Amino acid sequence: MFRSLRTDAPARVRVLVNGHPVEVPAGQSVWSALALSGQITTRKAALSAQDRSAYCAMGVCFECLVDIDGLPNQQACLRRVTEGMQITMQTITEDTKAEL
Amino acid sequence: MAHDCVIVGAGPAGMAAALTLADHGVRPLVLDRAARPGGQIYRAASASPLPDRSVLGADYAAGAELITAYTASGADHRAEADVWHVGADGKILFSTDGGTCQAEAREILLCPGALERPMPIPGWTLPGVMTAGAAQVMLKSDAVVAEGAVFAGSGPLLYLIVAQYLRLGVKVAALVDTTPRDNYLRAAPLLAGALRVPSMLTKGLSLLHEIRQAGIPVFRWASDLQVLGQDRARGLRFVTPKGAQEIAADTVFLHHGVTPNPNMTRALGVQHDWNPDQLCWHVRRDPFGQSTLAHVSVAGDGGAIVGAEGAQCEGRLAALNMLCRLGRIDRATRDHLARADLTRLKRLAGVRRFIDRLYRPQAALRVPQCPDTLVCRCEERSLGDLRAGFDAGARDPNALKSLTRCGMGPCQGRQCGPIVSQLLADWRDEPVSEVGYYRLRSPQRLLSLQELSRFNRVHPAPEEAQ
Ligand SMILES: Cc1cc2nc3c(=O)[nH]c(=O)nc-3n(C[C@H](O)[C@H](O)[C@H](O)COP(=O)(O)OP(=O)(O)OC[C@H]3O[C@@H](n4cnc5c(N)ncnc54)[C@H](O)[C@@H]3O)c2cc1C
Ligand code: FES
Repeated sequence: MFRSLRTDAPARVRVLVNGHPVEVPAGQSVWSALALSGQITTRKAALSAQDRSAYCAMGVCFECLVDIDGLPNQQACLRRVTEGMQITMQTITEDTKAEL
Repeated sequence: MAHDCVIVGAGPAGMAAALTLADHGVRPLVLDRAARPGGQIYRAASASPLPDRSVLGADYAAGAELITAYTASGADHRAEADVWHVGADGKILFSTDGGTCQAEAREILLCPGALERPMPIPGWTLPGVMTAGAAQVMLKSDAVVAEGAVFAGSGPLLYLIVAQYLRLGVKVAALVDTTPRDNYLRAAPLLAGALRVPSMLTKGLSLLHEIRQAGIPVFRWASDLQVLGQDRARGLRFVTPKGAQEIAADTVFLHHGVTPNPNMTRALGVQHDWNPDQLCWHVRRDPFGQSTLAHVSVAGDGGAIVGAEGAQCEGRLAALNMLCRLGRIDRATRDHLARADLTRLKRLAGVRRFIDRLYRPQAALRVPQCPDTLVCRCEERSLGDLRAGFDAGARDPNALKSLTRCGMGPCQGRQCGPIVSQLLADWRDEPVSEVGYYRLRSPQRLLSLQELSRFNRVHPAPEEAQ
């Protein structure tokens, strides 16, 4: 269970995680929005379609690839939330990959 | 127009280098993919979202001073600049703000830092399994923690994050320590060298003491780790001398050491050497960090694991050498100014040797033991798949990659690379140095056409262009 330790009252932005509205402090990572909302699956594995989630949080494992505002393959741990951002789980598999 | 110097990475190494360059009138372009300067250890130290950053330790607070000095140095810092190509011709390409930029450098200093050694245990790809470094990043950047997590593995960074969690009142389910008993015996002869910098040693010991005092379950001599759960992590199973154990937890943080982040230096084609003490590849360098390409230097954990203080020493040394190559100082001045850092690095190396031996990871945790455990997370290739590829004749990492696709996914082998080299070494019964590593190429990240089509060049400010 992820939670925030912030006690200040940071400015918040509202994002949509898989269609559900979530409020997070402005400037935080997209991954933190997923973690705090409990929707931790970032993508489906390319072959088995098993659920995957952020692993390194520092941009080197590429497990956190999500779709942001219609753009696929965005690293949730490196991108930061902005007002109205639409974040969705990525479901690119072997078949759809070739188009990118 | 070329910059005198471009630095990739604004951790302790890159920041220290920039300060030394600035002292001699060179204003470097510094590219870093993070939102703020600081690197791993000092991540967000200048603007911590935590109510009280002192719980992260005195080192962390000290980082804020380095960042302040760096920010005032006049270095041209570019945040959220993700470098994906560094060419031997001095051209550097990076993504920023949805577009692509090119910069050109006479001297290049690479300070990409380390990444965590993979621990390919059954279930390590399940959601809820992360690295201890990830826990650090979430805590420092976003003040986000995982309540009731289990931490498993070995080494100072693992103990540090557990201690930080406990200071913050975050519940920790257990610390599962995989440091083999035998390591204590083997490290003992190196203790004298480590005692030359006693502060480093006491820091480590006090962390373990603090964790024991907190009264959380600590399991020592653990082996045979396995993450429980079908669709996501539900806990950790392992074996201690007292028998099999199971801890329920929905987050499992793994860690057994760090290794240099190899992709940039590999793709650039500079020479690397296998280091059997640190069990990783080092970039071949002279004492000033100059690589086998004269105008490319490497400093900090990206070249070999030296820790934060060592990274700063190396950053300054590389800067002095580049200043000399740029004609800003002569050799005698360089050598004179280098003396203190060279001496300090020697001392720190003594501590490092001890830590490396004490926390040398278990061989059985560095490569999978079950045929269906995944090695390549991106392309979902298991130990069994790789063995079949080896039996079909693929005897080196590149052959195995073309045959099985292991290492062809978006992470470009950052996770599976060390595992594959080790497996092939075991199977061939030859040292890893003979087996080698993947041949890598740019770009070092996924790129979209849209990003590539928005192209800009970054030039030095006019007053310093020569
Ligand atoms: C996840 C993690 C957490 C760590 N936490 C601690 C800790 O709490 N305490 C401690 O003593 N040590 C910690 N370490 C060890 C740490 O590596 C060293 O102590 C120290 O930070 C090394 O300094 P450096 O300057 O060599 O590299 P780093 O501090 O790692 O800095 C490297 C910088 O390069 C940037 N970078 C890397 N690749 C690119 C690229 N392609 N494009 C643009 N920028 C790039 C990164 O964003 C980073 O800011 C950690 C290591 C890791 C991997
Ligand atoms: S979590 Fe590893 S790249 Fe984002």
